[in-house]
Amino acid sequence: MLTVQGFQKALEYWKLFLQGVVCTVSLSALTVIFGFILALILAICRMGRSRILKAIATVYVELFRATPMVVQIFVIFYVVFDGVKVLPGFKLFGFIRFDRFFPAVVALSLNSGAYLSEIIRSGIQSIDIGQTEASRSLGLSSVKTMRFVILPQAIKNILPAIANEFVTIIKESAICYTIGVQDIMSAVNAVKGATYRMAEALIIATVLYFCLTYPTSKVIAHFERKMSAGDKR
Amino acid sequence: MTNDKLIQVKDLKKYYKGERIKALDGVTVDINRGDVMVVIGPSGSGKSTFLRSLNLLEVPTAGSIIFEGVDITQKKGPDGKKLDIDLHRQKMGMVFQHFNLFPHMTILQNMTLAPVQVKNVPQAEAEKKALELLERVGLKDRADAYPIQLSGGQKQRVAIVRALAMEPDVMLFDEPTSALDPEMVGEVLDVMRELAREGMTMVVVTHEMGFAREVGNRVLFMADGKLLEEGSPDAIFNHPQNPRLQDFLSKVL
Ligand SMILES: Nc1ncnc2c1ncn2[C@@H]1O[C@H](COP(=O)(O)OP(=O)(O)OP(=O)(O)O)[C@@H](O)[C@H]1O
Ligand SMILES: [Mg+2]
Repeated sequence: MLTVQGFQKALEYWKLFLQGVVCTVSLSALTVIFGFILALILAICRMGRSRILKAIATVYVELFRATPMVVQIFVIFYVVFDGVKVLPGFKLFGFIRFDRFFPAVVALSLNSGAYLSEIIRSGIQSIDIGQTEASRSLGLSSVKTMRFVILPQAIKNILPAIANEFVTIIKESAICYTIGVQDIMSAVNAVKGATYRMAEALIIATVLYFCLTYPTSKVIAHFERKMSAGDKR
Repeated sequence: MTNDKLIQVKDLKKYYKGERIKALDGVTVDINRGDVMVVIGPSGSGKSTFLRSLNLLEVPTAGSIIFEGVDITQKKGPDGKKLDIDLHRQKMGMVFQHFNLFPHMTILQNMTLAPVQVKNVPQAEAEKKALELLERVGLKDRADAYPIQLSGGQKQRVAIVRALAMEPDVMLFDEPTSALDPEMVGEVLDVMRELAREGMTMVVVTHEMGFAREVGNRVLFMADGKLLEEGSPDAIFNHPQNPRLQDFLSKVL
């Protein structure tokens, strides 16, 4: 049962929720950045000439897309980083335990890199080959062609899908409390442990997640409109 | 015309699907500085493949292309290091049937990208040069427009001066007027005519026989990936020898 007292009690731990928000936002932001870089590399490998790189990237992408997120995160945390023993135990911002936070960033980045690479690949392949030919015939290298000609057009096309992925990352990052990351969900758990009440804390968490994802998608939709307006000027 | 060889093409071959499609089947020709070489022939005869091989947009199966003394089909350059094709492409401008302007950049940005990024020309200088070129083709006032705002003829004129901004030694044209509405063909041909008059070396694949006759100094006739006949416009159009050429001309003239 939800009660006013329940909310009051839960909100006494507002600091935990605030820390949870900071943690979730940092986690998601870092994931998007590293995931995007990884995705670019994967996409380029998959489209490149080297068969070995192509095979590695393909296996990677398929593997991460075909297995559950929670399994991936446990493998990274318990197997790859072998519990917490190999990582330094300092705290980011004075409260985020690095030895939990770091494996979570790694796992989420590896996962979203696989998804984003498919988005990027289709975006790049949707650009007319004539664009590459024109650029290369002007003497631009393949790297500069990618950077100045292909990617700016491709990214514009795939921005909605990337925005969607960012929102997905914020939501999926909630799984990270299972390895002890102090995100919003872990705040819920802490409040439950202290007050023996969970319902109000869960409602608060719901509102917090919504407040993170909804404006994010709105902001990106705004930029998207602005960018495509440039087309029709 | 001087006889200074700018590009020597030797026994050039391009096969697809193993050897089943012979897009180019042994083409040998020298392109001299100042030449306006027009390439004609039926559809599928290998004209585009030939032109696109010259700057290695298509990598030939066999044969060589010696551009300004360097065999650009080799993996290694004359200095023994890996051959840098980008270096040679800078000196070969290319104009495509479908213009291929960069839609996310203004006309001016289209024109300054390569000079700035490839030749390290300062931005201000590149813009000045671009505006001069645009003025020559009557499009200076469109410098800040986006390609989508231009007509087909205007786009192709921009594509030509975009290539010229790199100060190439040769210009390659692949059916530059084929995608244009008839009333816009003239304005593009005028620019090309002007370019020829200034002494630019040009290789032009076209179906514009009038242009070939009037502006070209050499005409190549291709069929089935082979160079079947070569000569002055007068020789090709008024005294064709090869039956395939005679047949082709009877259909297009
Ligand atoms: N990527 C490719 N794969 C397979 N076959 C190809 C490829 N590119 C060209 N060809 C074939 O090579 C031959 C020559 O093509 P090319 O485009 O050079 O002809 P073209 O003379 O330019 O014709 P058009 O006047 O229609 O432009 C054609 O038979 C074509 O089908
Ligand atoms: Mg063609």
